[in-house]
Amino acid sequence: MKEVAIKLERVAKKYTIGKEKDSSLRGTVSGLFSKNSSKSEDFWALKNVSFEIEKGDVVGIIGRNGAGKSTLLKILSQITRPTEGKIEINGRIASLLEVGTGFHPELTGRENIFLNGTILGMSRKEVAAKFDEIVAFSGIEKFIDTPVKHYSSGMYVRLAFAVAAHLEPEILIIDEVLAVGDAEFQKKCLGKMKDVAGEGRTVLFVSHNMQAVNLLCNRGIVLSAGEVIFNGDCIEAINKYNNLHQQLQNSWTGNEGDEDVRLIRTCINNETDYFFNDQDIDIEIEINILNEVKNLVVGFHLFNDFDEPIAYTVAGDYEKRSYSLGSNIIKFRIPGYTLTKGNYFVKIDLGIHDLRFITKDIGNLSFNVIIRDNIGCVYPVSDVHSYTGIFRPNWEHKA
Amino acid sequence: MEKLIIDASKRSIIPNIKELIRYKDLFWTLSWRDFKVRYAQTTIGLLWAVLQPIVTIAILAVVFGRFVGVKTEVPYLLYTVSGMSIWTYFSFVLSNSGNSIIAAQGMVKKIYFPRLIIPLSKAVVGLIDLAIVFVILIALMIYYKVTPSSNIWTAPFFVLLAMIASLGAGIWLSALTVRFRDFQHIIPFIVQIGLYITPIAYPAEFAAKSLPSWAAQLYYLNPMAGIIQGFRWSLFGGTAPDSYFWTSVIMVFVIFISSLFYFRKVEDEMADYV
Repeated sequence: MKEVAIKLERVAKKYTIGKEKDSSLRGTVSGLFSKNSSKSEDFWALKNVSFEIEKGDVVGIIGRNGAGKSTLLKILSQITRPTEGKIEINGRIASLLEVGTGFHPELTGRENIFLNGTILGMSRKEVAAKFDEIVAFSGIEKFIDTPVKHYSSGMYVRLAFAVAAHLEPEILIIDEVLAVGDAEFQKKCLGKMKDVAGEGRTVLFVSHNMQAVNLLCNRGIVLSAGEVIFNGDCIEAINKYNNLHQQLQNSWTGNEGDEDVRLIRTCINNETDYFFNDQDIDIEIEINILNEVKNLVVGFHLFNDFDEPIAYTVAGDYEKRSYSLGSNIIKFRIPGYTLTKGNYFVKIDLGIHDLRFITKDIGNLSFNVIIRDNIGCVYPVSDVHSYTGIFRPNWEHKA
Repeated sequence: MEKLIIDASKRSIIPNIKELIRYKDLFWTLSWRDFKVRYAQTTIGLLWAVLQPIVTIAILAVVFGRFVGVKTEVPYLLYTVSGMSIWTYFSFVLSNSGNSIIAAQGMVKKIYFPRLIIPLSKAVVGLIDLAIVFVILIALMIYYKVTPSSNIWTAPFFVLLAMIASLGAGIWLSALTVRFRDFQHIIPFIVQIGLYITPIAYPAEFAAKSLPSWAAQLYYLNPMAGIIQGFRWSLFGGTAPDSYFWTSVIMVFVIFISSLFYFRKVEDEMADYV
């Protein structure tokens, strides 16, 4: 049997919300004399959370905002204590809820490495031993003796991650720190984390980036409203998470924009809950023109299940087209045999060409595509695991 | 292998000294950071640490030494500086540790370490100011040709007492401020009032003589009253500390020990309140 690295038994955390009056000095003092009923409300951020993590597991913790992920991490990293339950941790633990904790802008890069390293639980000796490695990883050798306040935000983050990446705990808790730096550096970080996971260390990884979770983790725990609703295989966990929240939404009405152009409605033409892969998908965008504008660009981003943008399109004839005052409807069509099985999201953008955005990422319409024939694909796709591409075209072929 | 158990039903109230020792590197790093950053980008840098007590001393010397005409055995300026040296340290630690945990909330919310390190590191930084005022004190003693009394060997103990008292008060206030922000406003009051109800600009015997004995007892509940009186006795001699002095000493330890327990009690949940 494998050794247990982390064991949680019925862990719960209560926060008191609402009237903060009771916790103020006045409230406490007056509370000594009178027993008035408290107006505060209890909120359980975590309820009855029990699970075990074996040594060497790389576990993704996923869940929507407010599901209790951060609270769980805070409890595991001892930042706050649980209200109920018991936790057992076997091994040296380090947590990384943020990169660059304690960085001081007035100190130089060199000084901050020592400061941040000791905050993360290393001794000065350990930091000194890894100093050269850290600096090399960050790639900012030239500026190591410059106060970090003069750093660009990219340099700052690279230095911070470099320190964190050289922690060597047996159990590592990481929260969304991948969302830093440019694409190249993110790749480097992801690679480093993969190495860490490959060394047989136990890693708990909280992220919204399903792609990263998929890449790094072998297990997944899904939290919802403070409870564990799934604990097991990583791919299944991602599926569970995706199905959990995606109340598919096929229309949006509102009023977003500036003084000239307003986005007031957008919708997808589906009659059922899904499209088949051979059906056209029509997207309607209704805008209201208040003042005449030139070069108005209407477009949208298409995202997949992993929240990755997979396509972007605009009405490309903006130079020739002038919209009339008042309501205008723009229709887009994603032809059949384009998308493969999965959930997709549409976010609308309005802008003036080469000038500015009027409004961005509006709507978040969603739709589901189901496959009903085998055109364009050798294998019938049955689950995300055998997801074999982004598109499912019906390309010309001859025999 | 390290094993950590967090059990919500069992709460330890005993300060975890072993853990504090394990985090000693962080303690030194934070102290060093505070020192390093304190006068960053100021033109006269460390001179500020000298200037602040000198100005206060000068005002006290003029008001009490000239206008009021307080009579002391040693030159009045020297007398005030001796009291001021210890008081400067106490007030520095008080005002800096009070806010310290809120100021460090970025860390407190994101990572675990014994929170006690924060107020402790402030007490170390204050020692630099104390050393500077001591230099002024020694210079003045040479200038006035005052030879230290035969009790001078006790001086380190009084300095140590002052450190314990400052830490105790500092730890209490740092923990209380997290929970009750009111203390952010109370601390400057304490420092201001303390300057007058502590025998800095006048001999402690004045207070003991002019007050009824119950009020004098109350006066010495201020731990700094006894400490400063004792410190002066070690420097200049005179009447040895009396029974009132011990009231102050007991207070020092009551404040210090209770502060550790209170801090321990609220430490686990500080991240929820800051």
